[in-house]
Amino acid sequence: MGARVVVIGLDGATFSVLDPLMQAGVMPRLRDFVESGVRAELKSIVPALTPPAWTSLMTGRTPGRHGVFDFFRKDSPRSQHIRFQTSADIGCETLWTLADRAGLRSTVLNFPLTFPVPRIDGYVVAGGWMPWRQLRLGCHPPGLYDRLAALSGFNPRELAMDMTHEEKALEGCKQEEYDGWIDLHIRRERQWARVAAHLMCKDATDLVAVLFDGVDKLQHLCWRFIDPALEHGVTSDWERAIRDRCLDYFRELDAILAELIFLAGDEANIVVVSDHGFGSQIRTFFVNAWLEQRGYLGWVDGCASHVNDSQVLGMARLAKHVYELDWQRTKAYAPMPSGNGIHIVRADQDHPGGVTDAEYEAFRERLIGELVAVEDPVSGDRVVARVWKREEIFDGPYLELAPDLTLELTDGGLVSILGSEAVVQPRPHATGTHRPYGIFAARGPRFRRGVRVPALSILNVAPLVLYSLGLPVPSGLDGELPFETLREGTLLAHPVRYADQAEETVPHSVPAGPELSAEAEMEIMKRLRALGYVE
Amino acid sequence: MTPTRDAILEHLQQMLRELASDWDLGEAITPDTLLFSQLGFQSLDIVVLGTALQERYEREMPFAELFANIGQRQVRDLSVGELAEFVKEHVGVSATP
Repeated sequence: MGARVVVIGLDGATFSVLDPLMQAGVMPRLRDFVESGVRAELKSIVPALTPPAWTSLMTGRTPGRHGVFDFFRKDSPRSQHIRFQTSADIGCETLWTLADRAGLRSTVLNFPLTFPVPRIDGYVVAGGWMPWRQLRLGCHPPGLYDRLAALSGFNPRELAMDMTHEEKALEGCKQEEYDGWIDLHIRRERQWARVAAHLMCKDATDLVAVLFDGVDKLQHLCWRFIDPALEHGVTSDWERAIRDRCLDYFRELDAILAELIFLAGDEANIVVVSDHGFGSQIRTFFVNAWLEQRGYLGWVDGCASHVNDSQVLGMARLAKHVYELDWQRTKAYAPMPSGNGIHIVRADQDHPGGVTDAEYEAFRERLIGELVAVEDPVSGDRVVARVWKREEIFDGPYLELAPDLTLELTDGGLVSILGSEAVVQPRPHATGTHRPYGIFAARGPRFRRGVRVPALSILNVAPLVLYSLGLPVPSGLDGELPFETLREGTLLAHPVRYADQAEETVPHSVPAGPELSAEAEMEIMKRLRALGYVE
Repeated sequence: MTPTRDAILEHLQQMLRELASDWDLGEAITPDTLLFSQLGFQSLDIVVLGTALQERYEREMPFAELFANIGQRQVRDLSVGELAEFVKEHVGVSATP
């Protein structure tokens, strides 16, 4: 018997790109799938960012309740230190742990925050930040890596993470590097497809979930060649050649989807989803530079890293704020360019320049008012569309780890954490950045056929997958079962069962050690800098 | 039962041997093998290795402190034997104050 449910993730996929590709014959198999099933836009969570969004999709919970807000997390609510997120940071059940507890088996490939690997019945190959040298540790059960290594063409360097390639998606690369970079992502998707096909053929599990992340990477770097609205700007031979290579990627992805859909069989319920959509970013807002100009942030002398040929947003400066910022003079800062979050420093013995509890609310209101007044000096347009207080978009046990403020920029872009004389700068050409609306398409015995329904929430996917697996839907999820996607008679034949709120897992899989003092943390970070470890 | 230093070293060497076999590394893994200069580790590799060791021994360990100490040395690197010693120091320590 094949899988009951197959979830295919296309990181960052948007119908604004896929619809024209389907209509133009670049992705004919996806077109057939979408037209013969049910489709909708899929609204992401705030922030519309890969780790929190996929975690919301696989848990049915909002970030405040699963604990993942960004690629990194603060050590503690008032700490300035950030660290990599791991699977141990997910503070609730996932689709595959729920399936496992119900006696079902799962295959989980390339999803973020799956290392350390969950010891479920089935197969896991960790994705996200998994470095290729240790991919073996990211494979479950023992022996799986050797099975995969025996597959024709298996290459862990291309299957897993290589930071030097990852940074190029956001910070750009040299013109002569584009072609090889796109080819790498074509080969990477083939490798993941080969792994998925192998496991589906040899030992089909009840749930198969596989994530392809090249869509997001290509759209970040190559948006001006992919976005139909920008096609008129593709004029030179080189630009046309790069656009053609991008189309080759989508053709390859279409073939991969066709293979997986075929292997799943007619009895499987197949869901194709993305974690967020995509759009253009036309300018850069240097949020830390702006905070500095307003007197809310101070750099240690000579420490501010500025925009240059190799960095715009500051991905390579992650975690360096700890020693680059003058904590005697800093009241607010953005540690990461990914989540558009601003953290407010709370006054204490180590941060005398911080904001006291009594000042906090007024300070936050003042920041919001000043942020929404920031203008693009060229166009006069507002730069910041909206500023959320954390309690406006998050709730739950992890609320205190969230940024105090989260920005939505008018061009939908990401902030830069670098220093800069000008706080707003136009981009030489549009780059790709995240948008709230991704894709949902589903086909199978339980789904309606040939219909388009209003936008769903990414939080609806977990209950839908659980229902399609024949499992009860936990009552504590933030999303509801999207009844409008189900074929008539499905509910009668398969009534929805609800279960008491899923038992919360312990947020950390290892016992917590004693906390370091702020002074000790600072000393350690200074030493880490000397080592070059905090890069 | 608290594992001995030798048991930890053996486990670590075995784990690194398995990993290194995936990279076609010609050298043997010994207690003197250096993680950065000989195995080519990068910061992300260290994070993942540390996470794996914490999971194996069900104990959170102050890896940041370990690497900070290395940063003060002339040769900024870490041997397999030193890493085993570090793990040994912390697996027997109570997790909660």
